Amino acid sequence: MNKQESPILFLIVGRNEPLYSSEFISNQTTISDSITRQNYFVMHSALDLVDKCAFTYPQMYLKTVDKVNHQMVTVFLTASHVKLMLLHSGKGDDVMKAFFMEVYELYVKLSMNPFYQFDTHITSKDFDDRVRAIGRRYLLS
Amino acid sequence: MSKSANIAAAGHALWANIPKVNTELFALTYGSLITEILRDYDQDIPEINLQLERIGHSIGVRCVDELLAKSEVNGISIPMCKDLRETAEVIAKIGFRMFLGVNCDVGKLTDKSFSLYLSENPLNIFVELPSSSEDEGTNGPDWNQLKYSNIYCGVIRGALEQVNLKVECSFVRDVLRGDEVNEIRVDVKEVLAEGAGEDYHEE
Repeated sequence: MNKQESPILFLIVGRNEPLYSSEFISNQTTISDSITRQNYFVMHSALDLVDKCAFTYPQMYLKTVDKVNHQMVTVFLTASHVKLMLLHSGKGDDVMKAFFMEVYELYVKLSMNPFYQFDTHITSKDFDDRVRAIGRRYLLS
Repeated sequence: MSKSANIAAAGHALWANIPKVNTELFALTYGSLITEILRDYDQDIPEINLQLERIGHSIGVRCVDELLAKSEVNGISIPMCKDLRETAEVIAKIGFRMFLGVNCDVGKLTDKSFSLYLSENPLNIFVELPSSSEDEGTNGPDWNQLKYSNIYCGVIRGALEQVNLKVECSFVRDVLRGDEVNEIRVDVKEVLAEGAGEDYHEE
């Protein structure tokens, strides 16, 4: 009946490449291969805009940096220039801020692990489970 | 009954008076020590466990004097241990409490060995052992064999050596590997002879 938006894509991008990615899919979303690949392209092109905002905006939470069709890219920039990026179609500001803060806390805890090297792929299953739980809680309600 | 209460009270009192350091700083420092040792010894896990134990040993030989000196200064009397149970209690209730601020329990006591249970370990608060993935095969190190807090075993061994007890210490259960508590098994191998060598005996 009411076709929902495309899946919400969450990426953690380090200095050179994505370190972690996950998708948050609700029941009514349509998933097709071309949409997914387009999502990554949109995220990639948003990176330049992030860098532009990084040195002008005083906050860590950069709000929406880019708008493509009906989708928006919202970014949270950490102190070490690791970008937490979210591709979505219209979520409330408070919801996203809360989501980013929780994921940021998880990321900080992960980086305190002596076995995790900065700017490497995040392979911890525990981290993955928790991010998905947070995503389900905030983004799919 | 009251003796163990006294020992526990002594532990708490000593912990209150001892200078403290930030837990996170402590954990992060130990974490970077582990990563450095991993790099030095080329991820050879059994060798690393051995090195941690030796580092602990150097720390342990100084701990006993520290414990007795601090208790003297604070006017807390720790009664001389008559048997292994009392020794274990002092290590658990006073030693671990005073130096780390953690609760430690004694169990599985026989006349030549005992177990120490640590429910909370300040060294591994941020740690998650990396998983040995399938595509690494036999080339990657077996992280399950790494005894992350093996330094404790060395400390206990060094400390008891100063009081003439030769022991062997090992980690049998580890929270990082999925068990519920950390368990350290201490086996007494022999009681060393009292006193200094023959050269020091009076004529």
